[in-house]
Amino acid sequence: MWSYIVRRIFQGLFTLLIITVLCFLLTRFSGDPLAQYATNPRMSAEDKEALRERLGLNDPLYVQYFKWLGLAVQGDLGQSFFAKQPVSEMIGTRLPNTLILMFTAEIITVSFALLLGIISAVKQYSLTDNIITTFSFIGFSVPIFFSALGLMLIFAVQFKEWGLPYLPTGAAVWDKSDPVEYIKNLILPVSALALVNTAGYSRFVRTSILEVLGQDYIRTARAKGLNGRTVLFKHALRNAALPLVTIVGLDIPFLLGGAIVTESVYSWPGMGRLFWEYAQRSDYPVVLGILLIISTAVVVLTIVTDVIYTFVDPRIKLG
Amino acid sequence: MKQKLYVLLSLLVLASMVLAACGTPAPTDAPATEAPATEAPAPTEEACAPAGTEPIAFPDGGKSVTGAFDQEPDAISPYFTQMSFAIWVTQLTLVGLGEWDDTGAFVPELAVEVPTADNGGVSADGLTITWKLQDCLFWSDGTPLTSEDVKFTWEVVMDEGNAVSSRTGYDKIASIDTPDATTVVITFSELYPPWPTLFTQGPNNTGGILPKHVLEGKTALETDPFTRQPTVSSGPFVITEWVPGDYMTLLPNPNFYKGRAILDRVQIRFVADSAAALAALQTGDVDWYPNFSEGDIATLDALQPDVVLTVLPGSNFEHYFFNLGKVEGTDGRGVADNEGFCPFKDVRVRKAITLGINRQAVVDTLLSGYTSVPASQWPNSEWYNSSLTPDAYDPEGAAALLEEAGYTLGADGIRVGDCNGEQTRLSFNFETTTAPIRISIATAAQADLAQIGVEFIPIHTPAGTFFGQYVDGGPLTTGNYDMGGYTTGFYPDPYTNNYLCEQIPNAAQPDGVNWYHNCDPFLSDLMETVNSSVDPATRKAILDEAQAYIAENYYVIMMYARANVIGSTPRFQIGPAGGSSNMNWAAENWDVTE
Repeated sequence: MWSYIVRRIFQGLFTLLIITVLCFLLTRFSGDPLAQYATNPRMSAEDKEALRERLGLNDPLYVQYFKWLGLAVQGDLGQSFFAKQPVSEMIGTRLPNTLILMFTAEIITVSFALLLGIISAVKQYSLTDNIITTFSFIGFSVPIFFSALGLMLIFAVQFKEWGLPYLPTGAAVWDKSDPVEYIKNLILPVSALALVNTAGYSRFVRTSILEVLGQDYIRTARAKGLNGRTVLFKHALRNAALPLVTIVGLDIPFLLGGAIVTESVYSWPGMGRLFWEYAQRSDYPVVLGILLIISTAVVVLTIVTDVIYTFVDPRIKLG
Repeated sequence: MKQKLYVLLSLLVLASMVLAACGTPAPTDAPATEAPATEAPAPTEEACAPAGTEPIAFPDGGKSVTGAFDQEPDAISPYFTQMSFAIWVTQLTLVGLGEWDDTGAFVPELAVEVPTADNGGVSADGLTITWKLQDCLFWSDGTPLTSEDVKFTWEVVMDEGNAVSSRTGYDKIASIDTPDATTVVITFSELYPPWPTLFTQGPNNTGGILPKHVLEGKTALETDPFTRQPTVSSGPFVITEWVPGDYMTLLPNPNFYKGRAILDRVQIRFVADSAAALAALQTGDVDWYPNFSEGDIATLDALQPDVVLTVLPGSNFEHYFFNLGKVEGTDGRGVADNEGFCPFKDVRVRKAITLGINRQAVVDTLLSGYTSVPASQWPNSEWYNSSLTPDAYDPEGAAALLEEAGYTLGADGIRVGDCNGEQTRLSFNFETTTAPIRISIATAAQADLAQIGVEFIPIHTPAGTFFGQYVDGGPLTTGNYDMGGYTTGFYPDPYTNNYLCEQIPNAAQPDGVNWYHNCDPFLSDLMETVNSSVDPATRKAILDEAQAYIAENYYVIMMYARANVIGSTPRFQIGPAGGSSNMNWAAENWDVTE
């Protein structure tokens, strides 16, 4: 077992190394960070050259990479080219906001997905199932930027115009220590995220439950005289939900990255917006810092999940 | 065993939620906001004492506005940033010796008057400029603001230990003398006609005075907390709170030289883009957004009067240009690596393409008629040659010119002709960025030019690639393009080296800025002479000649004068604003009407 864990850790480190090389090259080739100053009459060619030298952009690519990597392994993600602040500090201020948004959305998504998936499976091919299926496909197909903007235009802009109570657009300065204000400002972004994700998850739950309901042990449970509710919740759902829990578990690292579109539309000060804002300016240290954190979380949680499976799944035997 | 899996995964979720619950980021350190109980008048000569030492606290029911910025300022110090949003905030907090007002006039700010030869501020040889500061100037913390602060600012800029974004112009200063607390004598080592752009704030320059009493003895100021968030102010407001990624709050400076601002508070909320800002304007969540593009004008126009549209035509301009590729150069000047598109060397072809694009229709339709087609590259400024008029759309005239140049319609509707002994189709690439308004305009130009038998093929690349440096193969710098288009501007100082033969980028000189790859020795020398005099009248006369010469040679196609497009709520009164000043130049007069 220990040799397996050590092997997986080394594999994970190697994977991370490859990811950092790819991410570095992708960000480096995404454009010149100083291109934004190209037509800036305030800066002479000498000014731009001095800035390029100071940011280390004149160094060969491999030197730039190893400099960044050398600091990163010591826990220093460097300094933003333009904000001139430590990247870890910038991420630290945004991460809590993202976690609150993403986990609230995830909890609502999973709750609704289970509810709709179960109803849809139990009432297979009924009118209810068809309605849920139709709306699931619509929710799944509509791009998030459309649903997020649409929700805002209806429940914030139009409701105000119609004289109805309306929800905030998120762009006002609001008091984050006031729980009521917090919840009001969370409603629209969480709804936009949940709308899209619930649609996909509920289809997954439906299929999973239908598969389990056809198993022999369910027939046995029914034959024992258990009522439908007990069979569904005590026997079918526990097994049917297992793959969903796995998927949700593996989603966790991606929640750290936030939601670029939703955070942007609702002016939510999270990781997604931080990434997008600095990617547009080709501020490599910030972009690479965020990518490294997400990648590390994915690799670590994948290893953890694999190790856990070796304990819980008797079919897995390590030589 | 599977129950254990549940438990473990649930623990992971819970652990993450605990992290999430650790709360929102705390505001960065802010100065205390306990203020004098009563408003005090601005310092006067009779009572030369500060009106307060702290920003004026926000009273219950006070007047407050919220703006939306789609980029969070990187540093609120004029010498350490080039970001427009940051510069807009420095206009509120760290002012300079002079500025450009809503009419485009250069006016004093901390100074008594603008130096001129007549008032003795500019020496006969143009090498010495003397500024006279107003009496009784104070920083927001009550410390006197004197000529020593101006000299200190220059020392900060020139200190190699400080990573300032530009030393242009400041490096031409030989010395600064401060014979008394209000007199600043600047001596240049060589003639520097754009001296008004130093220590001042304008449309294309950013300067201000830094507080010696706060920064003296420090180095590496680019990472100093003051550079990120100044704790004292010389402008109408002081930053008192800044929550990264979220918002900043500014309160009135009790010692502002023009007196206390009318508003009791200004807040700036950081949003993602203009769409989010527009929705917030409609609901009243924010009061203004200063960064709409010209492409948003029609949308904003339709929302009036619920949203107030303000369009301020400025001195920057969108222009198209031809790659003339003087490969061998002229008399050894202007060597270019790329040939350019052969037909463009014929002025008749360049003129035909200019006449063949309906620029006025672009302004009238895509820009809702709020700006104009200028005749030269110095629009909406005192440097503009007003005797010139832009060419009108004339497809028949354009076709006739192409016929005269030997380009006749081919079977596919594209003209073909002889260029340096080779049959050449009038089919070429036009390169620009991916900005939506540029895509719309290029599409319109493509349709117009197709009607005269010219195939104009737009290629839109991200700005980072389009403006890429020479070693990265950037099309503008390497000359690897046929036609190009982008926005620039030469104001408040009119000088540009974009036409200098010696500035064509090539392998030996990759950082050259003549991206037109056009070496016209006469024009190049003319532009050099613009900088040989400090006398504005002399410079204007030479520049007028240069503008006429560029126009008659059709070196560039002036598309439209760029504009600042501001959306605001009806309650917010932004006061007089112009293209050169933007709306922040007199923020002390901002007001709200309920």
